[in-house]
Amino acid sequence: MHFEPNEDQTAFLSVLEQMMSSAAAGWKASEDWQRFDWSPELDRTLEENGFYDCAGEETLGAVAAAAMIVQLNSLPVTVEAAASALLRPLCAATLPRPVAVIEDDADGAIRFLPVARSVIQIGKHKVRAAVLPAGAAGPVESLFAYPMGTLNGAALDWEQVDVDTESARNRWRVALSAELAGSLKGGLEAVLAHVRDREQFGRPLGSFQTIQHRLAEAAVRIEASYLLTLKAAQTANPADAATALGYVQDASTAIVYDFHQFMGAMGLTLEHPLHRWTYRAKLLRSSLGGALQNQALVAKRRWGSR
Amino acid sequence: MDFEWTEKDRAFRARVREFLDCELPPDWDEIRRHGPGSREQTEFSLKFCPKLAELGLLVPHWPSEWGGGGLTTWEHFILGEEMWAAGEPRGAQYMNVNWIGPTLMRFGTDEQKRRYVPQMAAGKAIWCQGFSEPNAGSDLAALRTRAMSDGDDYVITGSKMWTSYAGLAEHCFLLARTSGKAGDKSGITIFLVPMETPGIEVRSIPSLIGHGDIHETFFTDVRIPASARLGGEGEAWSIINYSLANERVGIPRYELSARVLEGMVNELIVRGAFGDTSVEARAGLASAACEAARLLVYRVVDQLARGKDPGTDANIARAAVIRADHAVSDFGLDFLPDTFSGGDYHTHLAHHERAIVAGIAAGAAEIQLGIIARRHLVLPREAC
Repeated sequence: MHFEPNEDQTAFLSVLEQMMSSAAAGWKASEDWQRFDWSPELDRTLEENGFYDCAGEETLGAVAAAAMIVQLNSLPVTVEAAASALLRPLCAATLPRPVAVIEDDADGAIRFLPVARSVIQIGKHKVRAAVLPAGAAGPVESLFAYPMGTLNGAALDWEQVDVDTESARNRWRVALSAELAGSLKGGLEAVLAHVRDREQFGRPLGSFQTIQHRLAEAAVRIEASYLLTLKAAQTANPADAATALGYVQDASTAIVYDFHQFMGAMGLTLEHPLHRWTYRAKLLRSSLGGALQNQALVAKRRWGSR
Repeated sequence: MDFEWTEKDRAFRARVREFLDCELPPDWDEIRRHGPGSREQTEFSLKFCPKLAELGLLVPHWPSEWGGGGLTTWEHFILGEEMWAAGEPRGAQYMNVNWIGPTLMRFGTDEQKRRYVPQMAAGKAIWCQGFSEPNAGSDLAALRTRAMSDGDDYVITGSKMWTSYAGLAEHCFLLARTSGKAGDKSGITIFLVPMETPGIEVRSIPSLIGHGDIHETFFTDVRIPASARLGGEGEAWSIINYSLANERVGIPRYELSARVLEGMVNELIVRGAFGDTSVEARAGLASAACEAARLLVYRVVDQLARGKDPGTDANIARAAVIRADHAVSDFGLDFLPDTFSGGDYHTHLAHHERAIVAGIAAGAAEIQLGIIARRHLVLPREAC
């Protein structure tokens, strides 16, 4: 039992940190005030340097991949890391990325589809993958802070993947909890910066005990989410995966509410990036059945289905 | 990063469980039902702890010259988890093991060490902790109990409140003011006070948390020799900071909570009342809260094991531990309410009584949140 990254993981996360502080990763208000800020430059840099392949490296593994996904999701810009770094190596390591993921037979809008080059579908009975031909997907307007899109009815050349659906689902749960934990972490940092500076009643907002305690509670839950996610990444235990996702999905509702409360009207603007994190969280919290189903799954995994 | 136990750790845990299986009597659930401060559990601890000591399991992490066994921080911690989950058969003596003993070894005079430490290492010493007062709870520095120097003695006058285990303790690790006014940390001094000293009166406070757990303790012209002072005058605050750093994360409550949750779910299964998604989800929520607390605590233990200061990670862990205790207790109250009245569900009642203390004892939950906010989140200090 030890919580320090090994030497290679430390070096990996340190270089990642440097890339994350580059200009391509920094927040900027896009000219058209979009709800998300897709960063092709950062995405390309990470891909070219093999970051998305880290789960397959013996000394890095799925734990490093999960830690990376958390870190990348704490950024205001968006890249597609979760499916690429955790699900793709399990299903079809050579699939071109970015990768969009379809859960079950969802016929609604899919995350990352407008920028994706391939798609993985985790169905009820099988997992399959397809390379997306040009023009196969189109963007749709969405509440959520992702490039969202739908398939334009194009017939895809699906190939069945040799992995059972439960293994794929468990891995995807870990990936989703890493994304959600990272989004909450990014939002917390933004809110902290705001409440340290913003003064009302002659004192910083962050000096009010109500705000302090609620943000401290958020920090506790976000730290716990991080550790639960990393543990689930390492153990590949289905109960651990459901625990991590159910926990962070449950925590996210109150945390996101508090973030917006403490940011006040500034958090209602597209100019301030808070929405970039919270409107990822608002989508991720319903993924794979949402908190209720994932918590129930913890019970099923631990005590059996009845 | 590695979230798995080593073979050595697993073997140690198995050894502790085996010992508990052998040593805890068939009516242990009824004994522990009364709480660690009760007469029943205290008397049991005085038989149980010497057996632990014989096997080198009472103070495994202490230096060998004081009866320690050279075991690791993790082994000490595993021992603590297993003891708490078993209902703490060490009774109040867990305090000696975790922090009173190590504090005496570090700051005590040779005479104090010789007089007190061997008894603790043998499992035969019951101490209480004289910290809180009627007007000094979370704000401990506001304490007013005074120790006036008088020749070679000190004369102590004042009162302590919520004193755990005072009814049966032989000694008190007492904080008293030797100078300054309430609020002045630099005027507080530690005294090691025999509870049989004339002028000490203990009144048990009937409570929701078991028998003999909390007390009012009155000190009226209690005369003790200067040799009973631990450290110098005014050094209490720095010594206490050292002492409590020894246990940082406090009691590993989540271990009992996780096991009680297991028992509650099994009870629901037997009744055919487990399987509905809403019940399952609540069980999953409570289970996740226990696992969250466990990992946050382990992160602190890992740092302590490597000689690092865990800083505010310890406060974060404590806040999560409190949540976990309540999540499990609330699960039981919601889905097995009948088990809290009559019947033989001693474990549910005992866990509930432990759970409602979790956010109060050893630093209230709100104190932890305040520390997290200021030191971890770097938020400005609250305005007065």
